[in-house]
Amino acid sequence: MEGLIPRIAITSLGKTWQGRRGDVEALRDINLAIGPGEFVAVVGPSGCGKSTLLSVVAGFATPTSGKVLVDGLSVDGPSPERGVMFQDYALFPWRTVADNIGFGPLARGVKRAERLEITQRLVALVGLDGFQDRYPHELSGGMRQRCALARMLANDPAVWLMDEPLAALDPQTRIVMQDELLRIWGDERPADQRRAVLFVTHGIDEAVHLSDRVVVLARRPGRVRAVIEVDLPRPRSALRSSPEAARLVAEIWALIRDEAVDAIREENG
Amino acid sequence: MRARLPQRVLPPLGFALIVLGSWYGVARHLANPQLLPSPWTVGVALVDLLGNGDMVDDILASLGHLGLGYGIGAGIGLIMAALCARFAALETAIDPLVELLRPIGAIAWIPFAILMFGVGSTVPVFLISYGAAFPIFVATLAGMHGVDRALLAAGQALGASKRMLITHVVFPAALPHVLAGARLSLGVAWAAMVAAELTGSDSGLGWRLFWYQEFFRMDRVMAVIVVIGVLGVAADALLRALRQAVVGWSPEDSNAA
Repeated sequence: MEGLIPRIAITSLGKTWQGRRGDVEALRDINLAIGPGEFVAVVGPSGCGKSTLLSVVAGFATPTSGKVLVDGLSVDGPSPERGVMFQDYALFPWRTVADNIGFGPLARGVKRAERLEITQRLVALVGLDGFQDRYPHELSGGMRQRCALARMLANDPAVWLMDEPLAALDPQTRIVMQDELLRIWGDERPADQRRAVLFVTHGIDEAVHLSDRVVVLARRPGRVRAVIEVDLPRPRSALRSSPEAARLVAEIWALIRDEAVDAIREENG
Repeated sequence: MRARLPQRVLPPLGFALIVLGSWYGVARHLANPQLLPSPWTVGVALVDLLGNGDMVDDILASLGHLGLGYGIGAGIGLIMAALCARFAALETAIDPLVELLRPIGAIAWIPFAILMFGVGSTVPVFLISYGAAFPIFVATLAGMHGVDRALLAAGQALGASKRMLITHVVFPAALPHVLAGARLSLGVAWAAMVAAELTGSDSGLGWRLFWYQEFFRMDRVMAVIVVIGVLGVAADALLRALRQAVVGWSPEDSNAA
């Protein structure tokens, strides 16, 4: 992405959590730039700090060292300019689908008529027609996920920050939602009509399938181990399990495997 | 899933018939009828009391005590909980006192209240307030502290101001706990009402219990007890219906009800 001003610029970022049992260095010297319309996935073994990285960019946590710029401005706290999708969706259980989607515009003071228009457009976009008036507990996992995506999109954020948004879905729904996500992001459109995405995931195949680049983090502390370019053509939905994708998945797994085994041993022991 | 209607209704109905039947048998053939009137006699006394208007006055007096006392007590509990959730220092300051007063219970204050206020309506109102304040305070504070942090984060990321986070995230998230606390408070308030009227009041259902005890009218004593029970169930049902209407979004079993 040389020559373009990055939407997200992370420079020498370090984050140490202070806890009762001493400090934990979660991230060390992370450097990463995400250009306009670029889809960047972050993978790594448990404890590599990938969720911490997303929290810092979202503004929920402050960097211990280094800085994060979004559109040239330093991040200081959450902002509707940066849309966030959470691991467990974090839908408001007392608001219907439509009212969850309309929360962002309501918070920004958008007039009622326009809010209604935004909500209806997004309900249709994510395929929730007929479910506007349902409450989250009445929805399946996939539908909650669609609702959470629509809620994020209602603010039309400049960047999308997604923290394992598909992790809680069953495997088939996850595949469907991966392609839905690509469609909504603009997989079939030119790159200048897409948003910049920072996508944290456990799934290496998911990362390869979705992204333009995969950032592989090492653990304890979280550092950038490698950045893998995913040079597969778009749109991608037909490309599932191509030999090239399989080769990239294997390459990334080779980078993570030893540490992932260590992480599992530590968790069990 | 709710069981089908006959399965929900028949067993309790059957059990009630067994209890009534045993009561009737014991009252007719074994006990002194002055001491243990039969269900039939109690029923007659009940119709009689409702008919001559005395009972209606007693019910209205009790509901007046309850309404005022519960309104004051639950209101104080609710406001204090909201203030404690907002100002941590206040919670730290009053927590030991709350923990000290809470287990004492309203009934222990009856002698204090009678000496302080004299026999009259102030005694039940005071004790109902006292009893009602604690459960709703504790439940509301727990609800406000227990708001899912991810929901607050989501609200912030969507652009909500601090004020909107409180009105649109913290309040609705705590509401099921508030209503659960309101229900617990009502149960405590109801018991405090009867106990306080029994000794410290000159009106109400509890006072009437004492009155009929003095006249050795066991049939009427038991008729009043039946009314107290039925009204208690009705009041609880009212709050449950309110809960369903207000927080129908929250599945019942997911609440600390």
